[in-house]
Amino acid sequence: MKIRTMKLREAHKNGENEESSFCSVLWDSTADHIVTASSADNSICIHDAVSPSNPPKFLNNHREGVTVLALSPNSTCLASGSIDHSVKLYKFPGGDFETNITRFTLPIRALAFNKSGTILAAAGDDEGIKLVNTIDGTIARVLKGHKGSITSIAFDPKNEYLASLDSIGTVIYWELQSGCTLHVLKAIAPNNASDVSAMNILAWSPDGEMLAVPGLKNDVVMYDRDTAERLFSLRGDHLKPICFLSWSPNGKYLATSGLDQQILIWDVDKKQDIDRQKFSELISCMAWKPHGNALAVIDVMGKYGVWESAVPSPLKSPTEDIPELHSKNGNGFLLLEEEEDPSASGSLSDLNEDSFGESLPKCRKRLREQGKDNDEWKEDSDDELDSIPKFESRKKPHHSKKDNLDNVKSGSRNVIANVGPKMQGSFQSGATPAKAGKRNFLCYNMLGSITTMEHDGYSHIEIDFHDTSRGPRVPAMTDYFGFTMASLSENGCAFANPCKGEKNMSTLMYRPFSTWANNSEWSMRFEGEEVRAVALGNSWVAAVTSINFLRIFTHGGLQRYIFSLDGPVVTAAGFKDELAVVMHVSPSLPSDEQMLEFRVFNIHSGTQPLRGRLPLTPGSCLTWFGFSDDGQLSSFDSKGVLRVYTNLYGGSWLPLFSVSKLCKSEENYWVVGLNKSKLFCIVCKSPESFPQCTPKPILTCLDLSFPLASSDLGADSLENEFMMYNIHLSQASLHNSIQKSIDEMAALGHDTTSLDDEAFNLETSLDRCILRLIASCCNGDKLVRATELVKLLSLDKSVRGAIKLVTALKLPNLAERFNDILEEKLLNEAVQNTVLPDIKSNCEGSTRTNNSPSSKFFTAPDISKTSDNVVAPPLNAPSSTLKRKQNEEGPAIDANGTREHITTTSNDILPPSNTLSSNFFTRKKNVERRANDTNGTKKHDETTAPGKTIEVRNSTSSKDINSVKESKSGEMKQQVCSRPSNPFAKASNNDTSSLLDSLKKMKKADS
Amino acid sequence: MAGASGSNASAFSAAELEFLAEDEMVEIVPNFRMEPLNFISGDFGPFIPQMPTEVPLWLAVSLRKRGKCTIRTPEWMSVEKLTQVLEAERDSEKFQPLPFHYVEISRLLFDHAREDIPDIYMVRSLIEDIKDVRFHKIGTGLEIISKERTYALRLKNLSAMEANIVRPFVTKALETFHKLSSSEMIQETDHISNRQPQATNRGPRGDISSDHLG
Repeated sequence: MKIRTMKLREAHKNGENEESSFCSVLWDSTADHIVTASSADNSICIHDAVSPSNPPKFLNNHREGVTVLALSPNSTCLASGSIDHSVKLYKFPGGDFETNITRFTLPIRALAFNKSGTILAAAGDDEGIKLVNTIDGTIARVLKGHKGSITSIAFDPKNEYLASLDSIGTVIYWELQSGCTLHVLKAIAPNNASDVSAMNILAWSPDGEMLAVPGLKNDVVMYDRDTAERLFSLRGDHLKPICFLSWSPNGKYLATSGLDQQILIWDVDKKQDIDRQKFSELISCMAWKPHGNALAVIDVMGKYGVWESAVPSPLKSPTEDIPELHSKNGNGFLLLEEEEDPSASGSLSDLNEDSFGESLPKCRKRLREQGKDNDEWKEDSDDELDSIPKFESRKKPHHSKKDNLDNVKSGSRNVIANVGPKMQGSFQSGATPAKAGKRNFLCYNMLGSITTMEHDGYSHIEIDFHDTSRGPRVPAMTDYFGFTMASLSENGCAFANPCKGEKNMSTLMYRPFSTWANNSEWSMRFEGEEVRAVALGNSWVAAVTSINFLRIFTHGGLQRYIFSLDGPVVTAAGFKDELAVVMHVSPSLPSDEQMLEFRVFNIHSGTQPLRGRLPLTPGSCLTWFGFSDDGQLSSFDSKGVLRVYTNLYGGSWLPLFSVSKLCKSEENYWVVGLNKSKLFCIVCKSPESFPQCTPKPILTCLDLSFPLASSDLGADSLENEFMMYNIHLSQASLHNSIQKSIDEMAALGHDTTSLDDEAFNLETSLDRCILRLIASCCNGDKLVRATELVKLLSLDKSVRGAIKLVTALKLPNLAERFNDILEEKLLNEAVQNTVLPDIKSNCEGSTRTNNSPSSKFFTAPDISKTSDNVVAPPLNAPSSTLKRKQNEEGPAIDANGTREHITTTSNDILPPSNTLSSNFFTRKKNVERRANDTNGTKKHDETTAPGKTIEVRNSTSSKDINSVKESKSGEMKQQVCSRPSNPFAKASNNDTSSLLDSLKKMKKADS
Repeated sequence: MAGASGSNASAFSAAELEFLAEDEMVEIVPNFRMEPLNFISGDFGPFIPQMPTEVPLWLAVSLRKRGKCTIRTPEWMSVEKLTQVLEAERDSEKFQPLPFHYVEISRLLFDHAREDIPDIYMVRSLIEDIKDVRFHKIGTGLEIISKERTYALRLKNLSAMEANIVRPFVTKALETFHKLSSSEMIQETDHISNRQPQATNRGPRGDISSDHLG
């Protein structure tokens, strides 16, 4: 079994002295939240399990460390026990303090709710176990019998027994109905009396048939439900006694944590351990995720984490049988409870005769109170600023009403209804969760940052630009609204807060940085809706609200447009004129895939250029969404995959970066932005996944790369480069055409030459890359692949280079093939060029545009100096210098040529193209003659391949003194031959643009 | 030793050494945007806000003076690293590897980028301590010269400043020792002209220079 390490993140500080303390962790029944507490910390943390980015909620009601937590089975009520001797109840997940349900004279160590949530058992260093009625807070019974401090109590799932364990290792079975002790098992568990951080624990199996108790031999012993007989024990690799154990929800697995700082997962049926994980600290508490295969753990230092897929994959999921188990048992229980509950509570209150008289009216009063509370809570849950999406909170009132009607009995039904992965909540890209007493980012982008820190009920907001020389200096501001969202652009910043109750409505505020008018700051208030996401563009502010309205305001605060969106918003981003909004399409799939959709609006022109589905890695959620530096839509998900939208294939998302490919598990990447080839992010040392505000984090540059499959070629970086260039090239050509259509004037101006140069440079580097790939293909004996690659070369010269290369590698067959390809290509070009004059002469745009794609493919200026140098054949070393000279000459001529031809008119091009064919043939003749000359003398002519190979070799290796001159002239002629192709490429490009121009003009005329 | 460094025989002044040290590369985090700078010594940049880039120390300092960047403290200047070095320095006879110009670099950073260095007081005192320990080591090491007559000293990982301070004294001392011993040789080998001693004189000196003292 391999030993892995797991990231843990800090939830609780362990005081100054770093002593170990007992910490607890819990999931709620929907797996939305993780609750943690530490005996060294007086606060309880409610973390958002769905999107850990959201800040945890702190409950600071206890005066001293919290030793134990319990959640009622329907997850509406949280109980906590503390060293300060009190047991408190809170609403969940709101976290509002409800009541001090009971008090002890010594610290509390154990709490447990019964299956229906009506009784809370509490115990600790005091003598007895108190059974408290959760509805009215009356103490139904005190169970006395333990000698040591009680460390664990557990209600049997069938609600008949209670089992309790104390620190000296005694287990007692109690009958709930009568309060009698049924069995007392002395000294069966390890004696932990001295150690506070490790507590004895016991747990009933979910079906209630067995009780698991840590044994004396570093094992877990199972005891029978009714007879308390020892059934069997699980023994394995624990080297020290077990201090915590937890049954998987379906009862098939058991997780145990030992004093030897490891967790073992057991298959209970096979009585065998199936997986383990070692930690640096003792794990003091664990909890299985109610659905899904994950285990939440917390160590004695207050660091918690979630062990995903704790049960190895081929095995059954720890929650696989849970729905049927639940529905079957749950229904059974419900019926049982409905029959049993009145009698139980009756009998309980009967027993407690003192409180009987007042317990009934109190009960009613409490009922009413709870009703009121529930109404309040309904609003609260609406205001919830963390990730609970709207639809969910709408569902809740319904439940709470039902709760009102039949008190608490809907618990198990609630569980069933909510099973399933969660839809992620709305978020703002570049924001970090709020931390008490620390500054956090509301917005961090490539431009600057907005930070906030809460202090005495109001916040202090600072706006900084990275580029201090250019960005305006913005004075810090005090925020009385409690803004949680912000967006920053060159022109201004927008803030928004969710509503908190009736008094504090959701507000959107915009603050322009430079304006000529005073008081140009503005704010909008929203009644009955709240802002979920904000975005800024160059002259607009957009806010998406909880009722799925997209509201667009101008820079000055004019309400411009209001749209209804299709689904609950996830996030929004702005770039110049464009606004992109991401929203949910439907509830997420059972396989935990979020169903998201994006739309891009052009605010300036009032159009919607793009819309479509937003792909995400299964099981992940969107964590960053925005535009790249050159305005391409990009997304980053929690599994670390960056996707960029392209227009290729009718609009698709390219995965351009994957964290998993970097193989750096100790680092988390927090994306800030990207440009064409780099991803800018802040590296956070795991388990931190968010950067700190101080010191100001610095950006790290990562190369974009495709998540390629590991190929048999072993040239991943080359393949990646190849794909990258292809994408860039296609984008550049697209960009060119757009740019040109925008630039109405002077399609032949110098701007375009620079753009073409860029495309041209791209082409040459692509060719270079392809040549290297061909080399590695040849070395890897992948000849077919090499041939395919040759066909992709855009420059004739590169093809020749390829031929040279394969000849050097002694692959005559391949050389022959390449030669055929080259010839075909040249012929094609010749055909193109002879057709060219006709097209040129008549100014029909459409025919030209039809031609342009194909011609573009073949015609390109021919240089590949570096490629030639790189793959200089080792055989004819002396010649390489000569060749290089030639090649150096080549580009110079070429560059001149291209420049010239850009400005020449079509008439100038005609003569060379006419002479082309003749030139072509004369050259060939030349070459053949030279071939004959050299045939005898050249040693490297091992091949008997006639004509073509030799011809090529000679055309390229011009070391034969006799033919130097000739070949040079040949080369020159070659240049001439190929030159017409350049202007053609330009011309065709220009023509497409002119067509676009005309289209654009038409459009304008129409409008 | 102080006398030695004060004497006019010293090869470089402290300011000159500092000047030399300014060519060392450091990482800065600029807060402005600029195209790459093309200098004779190389190209630096491009400068993108919040994106660390490597520049020579002189450029970093001058940018820092204008408030255009923050200097990232070199790795060896962290409290953690320095404590390790200090401990190792105290424990072992050898000199610990530190940047050749560590004294000058740290001095320049203390002078110009004090806000950028976390735990500056700690770092400063650690570097002072390290310096003291190393100078003490050199001092004790020099006793070897007087005890045994050596013509050469091997001082590995000696930094520029330290070398500069000991150079005049040590070279002179070694030379003198050599002269003395060779004069004995001259006495032994009679009257052969002072050509030979000179030639032998060359040898050890060459040795010294190759051993980091040159």
